Amino acid sequence: MKTLSILIKRNTKMFFKDKGMFFTSLITPAILLVLYATFLFNVYKDSFTANIPAGLTLADSFANALAGGQLVSSLLSVSCVTVPFCANFLMVQDKANGSIKDIRISPIKPSVLSVSYYFATLISSLIICLVALCLGLIYLGALGWYLSVADVLMLVFDVILLVFFGTALSSVINFFLNTQGQISAVGTVISAGYGFICGAYMPISSFGEGLQKILMFLPGTYATSMLRNHALNGVLGSMESDNYPLEFINSLKDTLDCNLYFFGTKVPVYAMLTFLAASVIALAGVYILLNSAKKSAKN
Amino acid sequence: MNIIEIKNLSKSFEEVKAVQDLSLKVKQGELFAFLGINGAGKSTTINIMCGQLSKDAGKIVIDGMDLDTHSAQIKGCLGVVYQSSVLDMPLSVQDNLQSRAALYGIVGDSFKERLNWLCDILEFKDLLKRPVGKLSGGQRRRIDIARALIHKPKILILDEPTTGLDPQTRKILWNVITTLRKTENLTVFLTTHYMEEAAEADYVVIIDSGKISANGTPLQLKNSFTGDYITLYNVTEEAVKQLGTEYEAIRDAYKIFVPNTQAATELIIKHPHIFTDYEITKGKMDDVFLAVTGKQLGGAEK
Repeated sequence: MKTLSILIKRNTKMFFKDKGMFFTSLITPAILLVLYATFLFNVYKDSFTANIPAGLTLADSFANALAGGQLVSSLLSVSCVTVPFCANFLMVQDKANGSIKDIRISPIKPSVLSVSYYFATLISSLIICLVALCLGLIYLGALGWYLSVADVLMLVFDVILLVFFGTALSSVINFFLNTQGQISAVGTVISAGYGFICGAYMPISSFGEGLQKILMFLPGTYATSMLRNHALNGVLGSMESDNYPLEFINSLKDTLDCNLYFFGTKVPVYAMLTFLAASVIALAGVYILLNSAKKSAKN
Repeated sequence: MNIIEIKNLSKSFEEVKAVQDLSLKVKQGELFAFLGINGAGKSTTINIMCGQLSKDAGKIVIDGMDLDTHSAQIKGCLGVVYQSSVLDMPLSVQDNLQSRAALYGIVGDSFKERLNWLCDILEFKDLLKRPVGKLSGGQRRRIDIARALIHKPKILILDEPTTGLDPQTRKILWNVITTLRKTENLTVFLTTHYMEEAAEADYVVIIDSGKISANGTPLQLKNSFTGDYITLYNVTEEAVKQLGTEYEAIRDAYKIFVPNTQAATELIIKHPHIFTDYEITKGKMDDVFLAVTGKQLGGAEK
C-alpha cells in the first residue's frame, strides 16, 4: 500500500511539474473561456431574450445567470474529461521515454503500476476540476447567486463522477498509445473534438437531428446535461417563482440541453446519472481486462 | 561461485538471430566485461536477463535461481544503469530515489537509511532537493548509479555507463564501483565501448553476431590475439634494422613488434648493446577486439 501511495505521489508530481502536460490539459477550457469572453456569452444572452413571448421581458439578472451557468457547466464538462486525458498521458510518456522498461526491471507487480496511473490521474484531475468548480461558483456569485446548497453539492458530485468517467475513458484509450506522436495526435483530437460532441461549445439541441440521435449514445452528452441541470436549477426555479410561463422555461431547458430526448423520450436526470456511472464501471472493467490480457500475453 | 550462468541462450527477431547458443558464466564479485559492436546481441542478452524479453531457447540461472521460475526474485538481485538516463527530470533527486526504492518495497526508515548510505558513497547529499533536469551530466550519472543501487543489488549491470562522460566523472564512478566491489562483493556486468575499462575486467567475453567470438581474462586475450611491442629509445635506425624485426619509427623512439614477451626477452638478450633504454608493452584490448571481430568498436569493419 505504501509502495502504491509513493507511486501515485510520483505520477501526480510528474503531472503538476511537467509544464507541457499541465498547460496542455487547460487548452480546451481556455478555448471555451475565450469563446465566451469574446462573443458566445452575448450570443446566448441575446438568444434567451429573443425567444421570450411577446409582452414579457427577461430580467437581466436571469439572462446573466443563465449564460453564466451555461459557461460554467460547459467548462466543467470539458475539463473533467480533457484534464484526465492529459494527466494520464504520463502512462504513455513513460512508455515512450523508456521509463516503463526501467520500472519493470524491478519486482513491482504490473497491476500496482496500472492502479498507480489510474489513481494519480484521478487525484490530479479532481484537484484541477474542483478548483475550476470553485472559480466557477465565484463567477456565478458575481453574476447573481441563485444556487441552493443542494445544487452546489450536486455539482460537486457531478464533477467527481465525470472525473471518474474521464479517468476511465483515458485509461482505456491511452493503454494503446506508445509514442509521443500518438500522444500529440490523441491530445489534439480530444482537445478539439470533445467540446463539440459533449455539447459544451454548442448545445446539442442546435445540431442536426441525425447527429443528435448519435450523440445520445455517448455518456459525455448526459454528463454535460447533468451539470447544466444543476448549474441552472436555481435560476430556472427563480424564474418559475417569478411566474414566467412554464412553456418558456421548458423551451429554455430544451435549448440549453437540460432536457435531453432519447428517440423522443425525455431522459430523467437519475437515468443520466445511472448511465454515466455504468459507463465508468464498464470502462474501468475494460481497463482491468486489457491489463490482464497483456499480462497473460506476456506469460 | 557462479552468480550468473547462461546456457545455450538463443533469441531471434523474425529473420534476425540476435543471440545464438550463447553460454557464459560470471563469478560472484567479478567485474565481467561483455563486449561487442552495436547489434552484436549484448542488449538482447541483458534484456532477457532482466525479464524484459522472452528467450527462444536456453537457460539462465542468476544467484542460484532459474529465470523461468523465479523472475520476480531475480529482479530484486539486479540493478541496471543504462546508457541514457531514465530519471524523472522534473522531480528532485530525493523524489526519484524514493519512487525507485518504493518499487522494491523500501519505504520509511529503511529508505532513509539507504539514502544516507548512497549519499555518503556517491557524495550527492547537497543535490537531494534539486530537480534532476538541472543537474550536470556527471551529477545525473551519479544519481543513475544511486538509483540502481538503492535496493543493494547483488549484480550491477552497467550498459555503457560512461559513454559521453568527462574523464573526471568516469574516474569518480569507477572509484565508487571499485569500492562497492570490495566492500559489498558486488558483481559488475559491464558493456562498454571504452577498451581501457574492459582491460580492468576480471573476465571478458566478446560477442559478434550473437555468438561468442572470444573469452578469457584480459591477459589471456592479449596473449592469444595480440603481440607485444618494445619501445626502444636512444638508438639509430641502422641499429634497429640490425634486429631484423618489424618496426615503426615514432617521434623520439622506435616501436619493435614481437609475437610475445618471451620473444622480446630473447631479442634483448641477443642484442644487449642496443637495448639500453626501452620498455615492453603488451597489446591493447582494442587490438584484441579488432583481431577477434575484424571490427572497431563503433561499428566500422576493417
